[in-house]
Amino acid sequence: MSSSSRGAQASEPSWGKRSDLDVLNRDIPRVDGPVKATGEAIYTHDVRLPGMLWARVLVHPVPRAEIESIDLEVASEMPGVVYVEALKEPGDAVRYLGDDAVLAVVAAETPDQAADALRAIKVKARRLAPVVTPAQALEDGAPVVSRRRDADSNVGRANERGDEAVADAALAGAVAVVERTFEIPIQHHVCLETHGHVVQPAPDDEQVTVYASTQSVGGTPRGLARTLGRDASKIRVLTPHMGGGFGSKFGPGLEGAMAARVADQTGRPVHLMLTRSDEFAIAGNRSGSRQTLKVGARSDGRLVGLKLDADKHGGVSGGSLPGPPYIYTVADDSAVASRIRSVFTATDGSRAMRAPGHPQASFAMEAAVDELAYLLGIDLVEMRIRNLDSEVHHRQLRRVAEEIGWGEHPHRDRPGRAENGRAVGIGFGVSVWGPGGRSSRCDVTIRPDGSVVSATATQDLGTGARTYVAAIVAEELGLAVNMIEARIGDSDLPPSVTSGGSVTTGSSAPAIKDAAHKAREGLEALLVDVLEAPVGSYVWRNGQVSVRGDSTRSLPWIAVCALLREPLLAQGEFRDFLHEGRIHGAQAAKVEVDTLTGRVKVLKMVACQDQGLPLNRLALRSQINGGMVQALSYGMLEQRVFDEQDGFLLSDNLDLYKIAGAQEMPEMVALIDDEDERPSVCGMAEAPVIPGHSAIAGAIHNACGARLTRMPFTADNVLETLYGKI
Amino acid sequence: MREMDPSSGEPSAISRRSFLKGATQVAAAGGIIQATAAGAPAEVVDPEVETLSGTSSLELLVNGKARSVEVQPRTTLLHALRTHMDPPLTGTKEVCGTGSCGACTVLIDGQPAYSCLSLAVTCAGRPVTTVEGFGSADAMSDVQQAFCDKDGMMCGFCTPGFVVATHAALDRSPKASLDELKYELSGNFCRCGTYPHVFDAAAAVQEDRARGEEGR
Repeated sequence: MSSSSRGAQASEPSWGKRSDLDVLNRDIPRVDGPVKATGEAIYTHDVRLPGMLWARVLVHPVPRAEIESIDLEVASEMPGVVYVEALKEPGDAVRYLGDDAVLAVVAAETPDQAADALRAIKVKARRLAPVVTPAQALEDGAPVVSRRRDADSNVGRANERGDEAVADAALAGAVAVVERTFEIPIQHHVCLETHGHVVQPAPDDEQVTVYASTQSVGGTPRGLARTLGRDASKIRVLTPHMGGGFGSKFGPGLEGAMAARVADQTGRPVHLMLTRSDEFAIAGNRSGSRQTLKVGARSDGRLVGLKLDADKHGGVSGGSLPGPPYIYTVADDSAVASRIRSVFTATDGSRAMRAPGHPQASFAMEAAVDELAYLLGIDLVEMRIRNLDSEVHHRQLRRVAEEIGWGEHPHRDRPGRAENGRAVGIGFGVSVWGPGGRSSRCDVTIRPDGSVVSATATQDLGTGARTYVAAIVAEELGLAVNMIEARIGDSDLPPSVTSGGSVTTGSSAPAIKDAAHKAREGLEALLVDVLEAPVGSYVWRNGQVSVRGDSTRSLPWIAVCALLREPLLAQGEFRDFLHEGRIHGAQAAKVEVDTLTGRVKVLKMVACQDQGLPLNRLALRSQINGGMVQALSYGMLEQRVFDEQDGFLLSDNLDLYKIAGAQEMPEMVALIDDEDERPSVCGMAEAPVIPGHSAIAGAIHNACGARLTRMPFTADNVLETLYGKI
Repeated sequence: MREMDPSSGEPSAISRRSFLKGATQVAAAGGIIQATAAGAPAEVVDPEVETLSGTSSLELLVNGKARSVEVQPRTTLLHALRTHMDPPLTGTKEVCGTGSCGACTVLIDGQPAYSCLSLAVTCAGRPVTTVEGFGSADAMSDVQQAFCDKDGMMCGFCTPGFVVATHAALDRSPKASLDELKYELSGNFCRCGTYPHVFDAAAAVQEDRARGEEGR
C-alpha cells in the first residue's frame, strides 16, 4: 500500500468556503438510517453467538445491609445453569445501592433459565438504616456512607471561592436583591439500550472480542484488561450501533467485568445486559443539588453581587455543579462568593450526563435573573443582554425572542396573571459549551476499483458521527456520501476519543478532514503527468476531477482510481485549526398554566445554537431538538422516588419514572445560528440540553407569578407555589 | 404437548381446569424449579388432560413465514422473536419489558401491540408483523424511507417500535392531524428526543400517500 502521508503536502486542509460546499452544511440523511429503520442494525443487545450463555446480576433491593448468607445451591443445580458466583460473603456489607449492591452473577443456556436461577438464590441479610435522602445523610449520628476512607461524616470538603464579606457588601448596596433556595432532583440517563456487553473468549494468543454498548471503544480494552488477565491489545471492542449513552457509558463497569469474568471462566461467549430495573439502580445518574442563591442588581439591571451556598447530591459520588455566576457576569468579579460541598447518600454514584452540573446551575441562575428583572421592571431579554458578555448570546436571544413572539407578548417586565384560570407565559435561558478537541486519527483508503473507506475508532451514540466520517471524505473527493464506506465502532481502527463532553466532532472531524485532504493530494500527485497541472490546482466535484479553470481537462473518478497500482492509504491526525472551542446557545419556552388545576402545558420551545461549520444540518437539528426534549422531560416529569423508610428504589421502571413522550411535545424550532462563520467544527451534545427546563420555569413564572424552586413542575408543585401548602 | 389450532387462534380443546393448572405451575416457577432440582417431579393432577406448562412447540406466522419455536407458557412474543427463533429476529427491541415504552411494538392480526405483554402461545397462527416485515435496508417501506429522510431517529433503539407504530397509525388514520398523530404515537418513548422529526416523517408519508391517491 502506498502512503501519501510520506510525501510533502502541497497545502493545509481547510473546510473551504461555505458557498463551495456540496455535501457538508446541508441535510445529510444518516448513513445508518436504513439499517436502523428496518431493524437490521445489530446492537450489543442483539448479538447472538454460537454457544452463547445468558448472564444476569442479582442486585440487592436496598442500599445498606449486612449479608448473613448467600445460598447458591439451588440455583446452581437448576436446568441450564452453567455459572453461579456470589460476590459477597457472610459478614460483608452492602454499602450503597449501586455496583456494591450486586450480590451474585449467574449464567445459563437461556435467558429464562438465567432469570429463574437468579430468583432461586437465597439471600439472608440484615437491613441497615437506608440513608437515601440528603436529609437522612445530614441527621445527627447518621451512618457514614461516604466512600472516602477517612470520612467521618456524609459531608465532603467545601469548595469555597471568593470573599463572602465583599459579596455581602455589594449585595447590601444593591437596589434589588433576590434570595431563593432551589431543589434539583437526581435524573436518570434512561439509555434505551441498557448497559451491557457480549464477550467472546479466545486463546491467549488471539484477541478476545467484546461487543459493548459503550461511549469508548478505545478505552474499553484497558478497562477489561485486568479482569481478562491480558494486554489491552489482545482485546478487541466492537460497537457497531449503540442505544444511547448520554454520559453513563464511559467504561465497562461491574457488568462488563462480570461478563468478561464469566466468559473467561466458562470459555463460552457471554451476553450480559442489565435489566431496566438494574439500570435504574446501578447505572448512574445526573446529580441533584440544593442551592441557596442570593443575587443583587443595580437599578439598570447590572448584577453587582452574588452568593451561592450549594450541596451537591451525587449519591456516593461527589456530583457536579459549576461555580457561579453561571454564564452571566457580575460587574465586579470580586463580589462573587460561593461555597459548594457534596452530601453523600448510600445511593448510586452520579456519572457524567450531558453537560454535567450545567442544567442544575442554569436553573438557579436564570431564576435569579428573571426575578431581578421583575423587581426592577426590566424586559427579560434586555436584562439578560445587559449581563451577558458575548454578542453571540445577544443576537441569539433576540432571535429566539422573535421566533416565540416576545414582541407581541403582553407582559415582558412583570409576571402576568391568570384570566379564567388560564395564563400564558414565556421564559428564556442561555448556554455555553467549550468542548475543544483532542488527539484523534483517521485512515482513508482509496482502492484502484474506486472504492473508498474512511476508518476511525469512534462510536456513534446516535449523534450522527458515522455519517460525517463518510461525508467529510465525500466533500473532499467530490463524491456522493454513499460512495464512502464509514468504518467506526472498532477498537482496532485508528484511535479516536471517548465520546463525552461533546468532544467527538471537534476531535475526529479534523482528523478525517486531514486524511481526506492527504488522500486527495495523493491522487493529484498521480494526475500531474496525466492532466498536466500541479498538485493543488484541481477541482473535485460530482464524481469528476478537472483542472481548475479548464473543465476540458478532466477525468471521471473511476479513471483516476484506475491510475493507482495499489490502494492509497492516507493517514490523518487531529489538526487544531480545524476545530472550534466555544459555542453558545439561547432558548425560549412558551407555556400555558392552568392555575386552577396546576397543570402546565409547554406550547413551544425555540433554540438557537452556533457551532462553527455545521457538518450535517439535519443531524444538528436532531441534536438541538434532543436537548430541548430532554430538558423538557427533566423539568416537567422526571422524578426518582425512594422509599425513605426501607430504602427501596420505587421508580425503577418506565411506568413510575416518567420520561417525555409524544403527547408532551410542544412545537419545536431548532435554529442554526448561521451568523457564526467560523471555519471550524464543534460537537453539539451538551449545549442544547442546558437551559430548556430553566426557560420553562421562567415561562411559568412569567405566566402567573409562580416561581417554582423545585423540579419537576408538577401540578402540585405549581399549586403549592401559587397558593401555599394546601 | 398440545399444539395450538392455527385456524382459530385459540388453544384447542383446552379445559378451564387444565389452563388453571398450567397457570399455577407458571406462577410458581421458582417452586417448580426447586422441586426439579431436588429430583421430585411436579405433581400431575390429571394425566388424561394435557396442559400448557413446560415447553410447547408452536408455529408463529411472522412476516408471512411460518416459524417454529419452542416456548413456555410464560414466553412473551418479544422473547420468542428475539431469543427462541433460529435465526432470531432482533429488530424488535426490549427496553422496559413492562409495556411502558413501545420499543417492542409489532402488529398482531394487523393491530399494533406490545410484544413484551403478548404471550407467544396466544399468537400461534395469527399473523405477526415485525419491523423486518415492512422492508429491508435495500427496499424500505415508505415510512422507513421517511424516517431516514427526516432523521426520525438518533440512537435508533426506539426506531423499530416507532416505525411499526407509525405504519399502524397511518393505516388507521390516514389523515391524522398532528395532535392525533401524537396521540397515536404516545405509546412509544424516545430518549434522544427525535419526536419532532418522527412527526415530520409521518407527515411526509401522509403527503406522499395523498399525492399517490390523487394520481390514481
